[in-house]
Amino acid sequence: MLITIILDDSKNNLADIIRESIEKTTNEVVIFKANDLNVEPCLACSSCSGKTYGRCVLEDDMQKILPQIVRSEKIILVSPIIYGGVGFHIKKIMDRISAVGDPRYYMKNVELVKKMRIKNLKYYMIGIKENLTFEEELLFIKLHEENIKIMDVEGKAFIVENSSDNDSVEKIFKEIIYA
Amino acid sequence: MHNFDILLICASPRRKGTSAMLLERIKNLIGGEIVFLNQKGSFDELIKKMQKAKTIVVSGPTYINTYPARLFELLEKEASNYKFSNQKLYGIINGGMPYVHTHEHGLSYLRLFAKENNLTWMGGFVLGGGAILDGQPLEKHLNHKKVVPLFDQFIYCIEKGISASKELYEKAEVAIPKCITYLISKALTYKVIKSLKKYGHNPDDLIYYLKCEKEN
Ligand SMILES: Cc1cc2nc3c(=O)[nH]c(=O)nc-3n(C[C@H](O)[C@H](O)[C@H](O)COP(=O)(O)O)c2cc1C
Repeated sequence: MLITIILDDSKNNLADIIRESIEKTTNEVVIFKANDLNVEPCLACSSCSGKTYGRCVLEDDMQKILPQIVRSEKIILVSPIIYGGVGFHIKKIMDRISAVGDPRYYMKNVELVKKMRIKNLKYYMIGIKENLTFEEELLFIKLHEENIKIMDVEGKAFIVENSSDNDSVEKIFKEIIYA
Repeated sequence: MHNFDILLICASPRRKGTSAMLLERIKNLIGGEIVFLNQKGSFDELIKKMQKAKTIVVSGPTYINTYPARLFELLEKEASNYKFSNQKLYGIINGGMPYVHTHEHGLSYLRLFAKENNLTWMGGFVLGGGAILDGQPLEKHLNHKKVVPLFDQFIYCIEKGISASKELYEKAEVAIPKCITYLISKALTYKVIKSLKKYGHNPDDLIYYLKCEKEN
């Protein structure tokens, strides 16, 4: 029942709140701070779907994250919301998670989709921004919906407008853990 | 053609891919300077060029339903440190999936970047089926009869400095019937498995990262 949390706390102080609220509910959790790690952008070398199937050839901190992710039942990405998307620290990791994607194509609801090689993975995103516009909120949620569709996984996106509001953060983590 | 007012930024790490091909097409028709987003190092030089340009066109692939991380890094860092002066911004995003909805987030992302940083958003173009094209000329696109004139209309908008309507790329999307979708999924999967076999792999092999020692 491992849960991997990857967070970017460069624009908030959520790391401690998250650690506290998660430790109340489970101990099978690994937390990575994306903004402190060295993760390079995906090179699109396609080695992970060919010569080194399932392995990324970039030797950086992603080599620590991927072994945790493939053992996880749930992944939670925590990111500032920027231009209706995620911050670049989290985006680098999202792009690189493709290394453990299933390279085959499937059909779901009359559309082409891909899958993850990790079975029954649940994928969550928590976006943080104060005074978020409705438009930006929709874009962030829409991105997550597209992500779970193309990866054919279950999941949900959450919004936190006030990152020092411990109660609402705790509520989100409870919902994810008991899902 | 030379037109140094137009800066064409390729946001793909693949310099001969579809994003770059689309910029070549623009350059051949109306001019402009193509610059590749570096994967490492500083953005300073690129940012100077962006500030000098009158028109900026960003062309990049779809990675997990929006532009790649390196473009996010450029736009996120830039915003906090530099000022723009109403440069016109156009976007192009191309992905493997033959749909508009799987790629469109990238254009909205650019639009919000423009809005928050004093650039003028002028619209964009979404191209599905870009992976099979793999950098070949647009005339080889599966739906080239529609795509070529519609993309050229988009280029015309850049040349004239007018807004590009989303109708252009919406019209370029093909409606694929269920049975064809199924056949495409089988054909692409066949190709993937064949290439894995070439390297001695099987799609259902144990995941590499499950084999290695658990960290922590
Ligand atoms: C890490 C990664 C993630 C990708 N994610 C998607 C995706 O979510 N949807 C899609 O349609 N194509 C996806 N693709 C495929 C590329 O968008 C496609 O191959 C594109 O044509 C590449 O453009 P380029 O030749 O300019 O690099 C992905 C490719 C990579 C390397």
